[in-house]
Amino acid sequence: MVKLIARPLDRKLLRDVWRMRIHAAAVALVLGCGLSVYIMSVGMRASLERTRADYYADYRMMHLAASLVRAPDRVAADLERIPEVAAIETRISGYALLDVPQIVEPASARLISLPLGGRPRINDLAMVRGRWPDPAKADEAIVSEAFATALDIRIGANLAATIHGRRHVLTIVGIANSPEFVFVSAPGELFPQPERFGVVWMGRTALARAFDMSGAFNDAIFRLSPGADDQRVRSAIDEVLRAFGSSGAYGRDRMMSDRFLSEEIKQLTTMAIFLPAFFLVIAAFLVNIALGRVIATERSNIGLLKAFGYSDLAVAWHYAKSALMFGLIGASLGSIAGVVLGRAIADIYRDYYHFPALAFSAGLLTFAGAWAAAIVAVSIGAIFSVWRAVRLAPAEALAPPRPAVYSRSSGMLARFAARLDAKSRIILRRIQRFPRRAATTVIGIALAIALLVVAGAFPAVMTQLLSVHFSVANRQDVTLSFVAPREIGVMHAVAHLPGVISAEPFRADDVVLRHGRLEVREAVLGLPFNARLSRLIGSDGQAVEPPVAGIALARALAAKLHAGPGDEIEIEQVSGRRVQARIRVSAIVDPMVGSSAYMNIEDLGRLFREPGRISGAHLSLDPARYAAFNAQIKETPALAGASFLRQAERSMRRAFDEGVGVMNYLYIAFAAVMAGGVAFSAARVTMAEQERDLATLRVLGFTRGEASYVLVGELFVLALLAVPLGCVLGTVLGIWLMRLFQTDMYSFTFIFNPGGYAFAIAFTLACVAIASFIVRLGIDRLDMVGVLKARD
Amino acid sequence: MTIAAETDPSPAFHTIRLSKVYGDGPTAVHALRDVDLDVAQGELIVLLGPSGSGKSTLLNILGGLDRASSGEVWFHQTALNAMRERALTDFRRRHIGFIFQFYNLIPSLTARENVDLVREIAEDPLSAEEALDLVGLAERMDHFPAQLSGGEQQRVAVARAIAKRPAVLLCDEPTGALDLKTGVRVLEALVEINKRYRSTTLIVTHNADVARLGERVIHFSDGRIRTIETNAVRAPPSELKW
Ligand SMILES: Nc1ncnc2c1ncn2[C@@H]1O[C@H](COP(=O)(O)OP(=O)(O)OP(=O)(O)O)[C@@H](O)[C@H]1O
Ligand SMILES: [Mg+2]
Repeated sequence: MVKLIARPLDRKLLRDVWRMRIHAAAVALVLGCGLSVYIMSVGMRASLERTRADYYADYRMMHLAASLVRAPDRVAADLERIPEVAAIETRISGYALLDVPQIVEPASARLISLPLGGRPRINDLAMVRGRWPDPAKADEAIVSEAFATALDIRIGANLAATIHGRRHVLTIVGIANSPEFVFVSAPGELFPQPERFGVVWMGRTALARAFDMSGAFNDAIFRLSPGADDQRVRSAIDEVLRAFGSSGAYGRDRMMSDRFLSEEIKQLTTMAIFLPAFFLVIAAFLVNIALGRVIATERSNIGLLKAFGYSDLAVAWHYAKSALMFGLIGASLGSIAGVVLGRAIADIYRDYYHFPALAFSAGLLTFAGAWAAAIVAVSIGAIFSVWRAVRLAPAEALAPPRPAVYSRSSGMLARFAARLDAKSRIILRRIQRFPRRAATTVIGIALAIALLVVAGAFPAVMTQLLSVHFSVANRQDVTLSFVAPREIGVMHAVAHLPGVISAEPFRADDVVLRHGRLEVREAVLGLPFNARLSRLIGSDGQAVEPPVAGIALARALAAKLHAGPGDEIEIEQVSGRRVQARIRVSAIVDPMVGSSAYMNIEDLGRLFREPGRISGAHLSLDPARYAAFNAQIKETPALAGASFLRQAERSMRRAFDEGVGVMNYLYIAFAAVMAGGVAFSAARVTMAEQERDLATLRVLGFTRGEASYVLVGELFVLALLAVPLGCVLGTVLGIWLMRLFQTDMYSFTFIFNPGGYAFAIAFTLACVAIASFIVRLGIDRLDMVGVLKARD
Repeated sequence: MTIAAETDPSPAFHTIRLSKVYGDGPTAVHALRDVDLDVAQGELIVLLGPSGSGKSTLLNILGGLDRASSGEVWFHQTALNAMRERALTDFRRRHIGFIFQFYNLIPSLTARENVDLVREIAEDPLSAEEALDLVGLAERMDHFPAQLSGGEQQRVAVARAIAKRPAVLLCDEPTGALDLKTGVRVLEALVEINKRYRSTTLIVTHNADVARLGERVIHFSDGRIRTIETNAVRAPPSELKW
């Protein structure tokens, strides 16, 4: 029925949309922005999840892993017998220092053995180039792709490695990726430094010989049968391996690579909801304004349609259709932009994660969701305007509209109005007269400001994080970690390495912390008093001393344990002697990176009954002797790794800049669309409604500039009202978002960054100015004579 | 502002072969054809003529709202046809008071504020009270246009036009939408102002009886001046009939 009578109206519909093309464009752009982010993030999340799932399935990613000191090969059979274990593989794994001539600092690698009988049954490799090593040749190895790319290592190249104190020269026969190392970072490093850390796979026999592990293994990985109870299997594994120095089996949630992926996926989810919601709300408002205007000018048409016998439903449908048209244009725009954005983001991810293939593809459901959201948003926007059209009685609609009844301000506003000139009073009265539309404009502009405040906060937060972490907390140039704990006396030798200016020891232990029924596995770090290099950070961002007695917890860790100062918690070593003890929480600290527990180094040694043992040292270096220092440590077999803080800072900054940088441009573009779109729509409507008044002003001898003041002034008053609202909104959103983005690894706290606010305000006002300037050009084209000839 | 114009003995308006053509080719409309006219300072002229004869067009060109296609139009010593947009705006602002058939008040301003609007850009204006008093609306000053009758709105428009004591009052069918009684009140106000401030006044009307008000009556048809009569005796507005 609706269909039948709609026909003659269809041409009118197209004309309406054409007449509203500016509004249609604003709505479509705003919708397009929101939906493109939605499609990009939902699509990217699905793509990442699917790619990960496929990769894990195709290459049989482990479910559980356990590392241990040493277990004889026969233990494998015991592990195999554990119910619900579908497959098990034992491996030899360790670290090696690499002497790579391309870089000054030593590189290092994780070494992993390949099974004797061919390809791994678990954590299989995705070969990029080359072949599998010949089991008969001890020197053949495969390297991970990112590392090979970063150092330009080709098939056939040689690589000098210090393994277990002996120098080996490896021949690279293959380049590969593994589901185990989608995200690769050196132990203790948070971000990939592909030129300094890679993975090397070698034959089991060769590696066993290098590590003195013949007939034994130190790493076990497992795949479980579907529906297995992971907790039960882990206990069973621990039962078997405890005697061999296992620190406990762990699941994917503790595997660095998988954990990073999960974080990323979580953040995409946040993004999929946060930004699009903004835009859909604005789009609904814009539709409401545009349609409200059309319906106001079409009163008599509505009356005619009704007088001809069109039903309310038909009339409503007619006007709703133009809103839907806006929605569909926006949804198409958003879909295209979403795919383009998605592909761009996929490129960034591809550099970062090493999937054999990562392509952006958004599913039908994602698009359907976006289109549905668009339709819902424009429908909500349309419903109120259309409702007014439907309610008009035909006779009433055919009569000329009652003139807008203005009223005088009362109270404070009246006193204020009395002091204004007449033109400013026009502005004030119009805002009072159309509060809903004024509010829409204010909210729209405020949201744009808020968006930019949030966007501006991110770099400030990052800068703060980096500066606190690298300039206040960690002022060392290098952190050396030993292969195995050493006596404190080794510090003497460390201090005499070339170029060392000062050196401080540290101790690190993997522990389980328990408070009540809560349990967290973390590291506890022992630091000396009066440390000058690596220090703890208090809540004010300044350095604090390690606790005199008891243990200090990072804020995030304390939250997980529900523990505060004064509470007693239980601490247990996960390896070595497995000492268990109770200890009092003496302070909460605020490291920017990581969420460990901290103690005085001597207390920690005594607690675990190994006084005077240290795990490594923080050093500050004389830059002039940097090369000499590196040359020396490349040949020091007792070192498991060396972390260079400047490089860590650089890689962290690069990672942030890539992610945050791209997002920042997006935010700015989106805010421009939002502020511009809202301002443009509002200015157009104001212009249309005031055409007659503006022409009158011109006839009375007001200049174009003076007439523009009435038009532009209204918009600017609204924009100024939006400024405080936008700043508050942005701050609240920023704080909330930082909390969402908070992870175990980073504690983001919202930074009040005056520059960011200033930019947000200036940029948004500039968008408003440009939009109103464009609309203002209409004043030049006003047909004074024509306007005055017509009755209202 | 009007001082120079008042003391200047030259005609307020002087047109030479003034023409206005809309469009071109065979569909061109000649709204004005070679109009030559002198209007003395302080004169009250009534323009009569059939619909479409070019009365409004002439008024709009004299008031600097529109431009002639050819010919010259002088306001005292200045040629309006040579002026740029900016100068025309200034001309309107300094010398012209307009009154239209459809009032064209600003709906968001009260009667007083509508008058204040022009007072803000005038040099030596009447107070809003004086202007509204002249049209008999002193008690309705704080009402918005929507709260006033058509006649009252037109009187506010008159008050707005006279508040700056303009040299010229251009009235395009000022009583077109009004009944006799209110129409008379509006015309009384116009005549009063013409007398009091010596404002050159041109009134376009369809009502032949209104012509008795004018010192001269110009009959228009087809874009030309047909005849110009001079009224030996002018009738006061109260004697007019519709
Ligand atoms: N913008 C325009 N475009 C084309 N023709 C126009 C335009 N304005 C006026 N005209 C034509 O110019 C002629 C004179 O118009 P004008 O408005 O001056 O007449 P008028 O004497 O004021 O008539 P009325 O008594 O109906 O107001 C008319 O034929 C009209 O159609
Ligand atoms: Mg006319």
